[in-house]
Amino acid sequence: MRRGLMGWDQNELPKSALEARLARLKAAMARDGFDAYLLYTNLVRPAAVCWLTGFTPYWIESLLLVPGSGTPMLATALSKRVADWVKTTAWLDEIVNTPKPGTAVGQRLAALGAKRAGVLEFDALPAGLYDDIVAAAPNAELIEASAVFASSRRVIDAAERKLIERADALAFAALAQVDTATATDAGALAGLVEKHARLAAAEEAYIAIAADLDADRRLVPVSGSVPLGRRFAVRASIAYKGAWARRIRTFTRDAAGSAAAARGAAWLDGVARSIAADRPLAAQLMGHGGTLSGAKLESFMAESVIRSYPLEVIASSRAPGGEPPAAGTFLVLTVDMTIDGIPWLGAAPAFAGG
Amino acid sequence: MSREPSIYQDRKRRLVAAMADAGIDMLLVYGNAWQGDYLRYTTDYAILEGQALALVRADGHVTLYLDSPLEIDRVALECPGLEVVHAPSLIAEVDTALDRFRNQRIGAAPARLLPRRLAERAKDLNLGDQTGFLDRLLMRKLDSEIAAMRRAAKLADEGYSVFRQAARVGRADYELIAEIEAFFRANGADHNFQIIGVGGPEVRGMAPPGGKKLKRGDLVTTELTPRVDGYYAQICRTLVVGEPNAAQMKAHALWRQSMEAGIAVVRDGVTAADIARAENDVFRAQGLGEYTTSEYTRVRGHGLGLFVDTKPHILEDVKTRIDEGMTLIVHPNTYHPVVGYMVLGDAVVVTGDGCEVLTATPRELFSVPA
Repeated sequence: MRRGLMGWDQNELPKSALEARLARLKAAMARDGFDAYLLYTNLVRPAAVCWLTGFTPYWIESLLLVPGSGTPMLATALSKRVADWVKTTAWLDEIVNTPKPGTAVGQRLAALGAKRAGVLEFDALPAGLYDDIVAAAPNAELIEASAVFASSRRVIDAAERKLIERADALAFAALAQVDTATATDAGALAGLVEKHARLAAAEEAYIAIAADLDADRRLVPVSGSVPLGRRFAVRASIAYKGAWARRIRTFTRDAAGSAAAARGAAWLDGVARSIAADRPLAAQLMGHGGTLSGAKLESFMAESVIRSYPLEVIASSRAPGGEPPAAGTFLVLTVDMTIDGIPWLGAAPAFAGG
Repeated sequence: MSREPSIYQDRKRRLVAAMADAGIDMLLVYGNAWQGDYLRYTTDYAILEGQALALVRADGHVTLYLDSPLEIDRVALECPGLEVVHAPSLIAEVDTALDRFRNQRIGAAPARLLPRRLAERAKDLNLGDQTGFLDRLLMRKLDSEIAAMRRAAKLADEGYSVFRQAARVGRADYELIAEIEAFFRANGADHNFQIIGVGGPEVRGMAPPGGKKLKRGDLVTTELTPRVDGYYAQICRTLVVGEPNAAQMKAHALWRQSMEAGIAVVRDGVTAADIARAENDVFRAQGLGEYTTSEYTRVRGHGLGLFVDTKPHILEDVKTRIDEGMTLIVHPNTYHPVVGYMVLGDAVVVTGDGCEVLTATPRELFSVPA
């Protein structure tokens, strides 16, 4: 559950930016003949509602109803006493606090006379909410319409880019706290990195560590005492005001490892700056993989924010297909390499086309 | 992830026996990082990113479907006994997998969170709501589960001590939580639920930190809830920045009387309503009954375990029987018209003739230097 700083600062996220996003969604709804649009949110799937309003639930679930005309309504299972808090975090003129958000949304659909309501990720809508919506709005047809949202959300505007860059800066700074000369315990190190991110106003911080890279490259959340090996890697997944970024850094205590890590980091930095728009990501990453001498690209992954997940995989070595990124698409590139025989992990953000 | 495999083995034995008794051939279990208790009970996996669905067969075999590749890396390390499927199209893949189990009695939990596409196949698949079946297992703990609760409660006490040390004039609310999270990661708590309130009569509840800086005279309320080996234990306490005034001390005495009245009632065989009534009667006796209503407070306590706010809710209209082995927090948290929102709560485990209080932090209105 979220327990970092949450709040809406209009200097960071101007109301005009949110209005423009809402207008894009409404235009797409009108184009495809929808009277209304429904978006589900919880702390695992907050990105779509956050993009439209700034709101992320710190726990429990909510539904956002966007009518074809008029302002959105948030129906939330958060208690009435929390409504004022919600308004400090988001642009929401109408909040309905109810143990039955689905019923409240259904009643509004019925009152609007909505016939066709698009739903983001309709298959995944929780059954309890769905049943309540349908019971209260028997004449409204609910229709899978994720593409409508995706077409509106494709553009990363200046406000969102700045928030992402802030999240990334927090991740970068938190990882900079790692001192290979003194770090001996992975649990304490996870706490140190998380603490630094939260002190710098992170909304959320997920820290994962591969404590002994020579033995196992898998990154896992760590708590309690776990010894750190000669080479280890730390992943910081950081949210700031609803925008997420990930970074991975590999740390080593030996000269050969340090040289390999430095080469890997410089390489990834260059790759991140050179990702082109409108070209398949997998081909680009595999192509770049051959440009670092003495290195073998073991696996890669590119994530972006496109629907309700803060980050989801859009291309990877496991599934190299996928659409080429549009200009300005935000990406997190994660790479597993062996450099001069030494394991190296890295992740960094990128914007397609610079 | 903090994890003690022997607890899962205990749970699994109990689950398999209960499924046999109930005639359930398979459970379809949904989980995410918000509502992960049903998944954790049946698979021992604490999902962080993405969503999961598990098929739990009557013989205990588990197939766990995860859509996040980050989770795939982790589950193989942490839960080596599971059959794991990386399912980027999670719902579609489980939908297809369920076709293999036609003509079996399948139970779903928690049914209300099941993806709509799967729930719509209820008749086709003989899929029934078995949320209540798992709720009963979740609520009444085994000895090994209670032992984990004790470990979590000990960390909750220590965490509150860290919180008090961090609370100083000029510090932002989120900085206090940052200190606690570092302590918890270093000491075996892989997660923590925490909300906070800072201020005076204008504060009507607790929420995530909003950036308020502590100042002299503020009440600082928090409930912190570390997770150890999957189990959450909670403590609620209030501190004052500077010396508490007479109104704050008087209010706190009432909160303490109410909490202790509630705890005194807890034993095998009472109902959740009995506990809530005991707490609320103390407020009513002082003419403050209005502040025990939903206008000012959500619940007067709740269950604890693999979820931070599990059943039963302690409310006067909840008739759930309290059984030996249940773990609860009793907290008469609510608004006071003079001093603002105030909290006090202790975690307990129900015994045959009473309860054992798990948290040991003194029940006082703490004060930190202004």
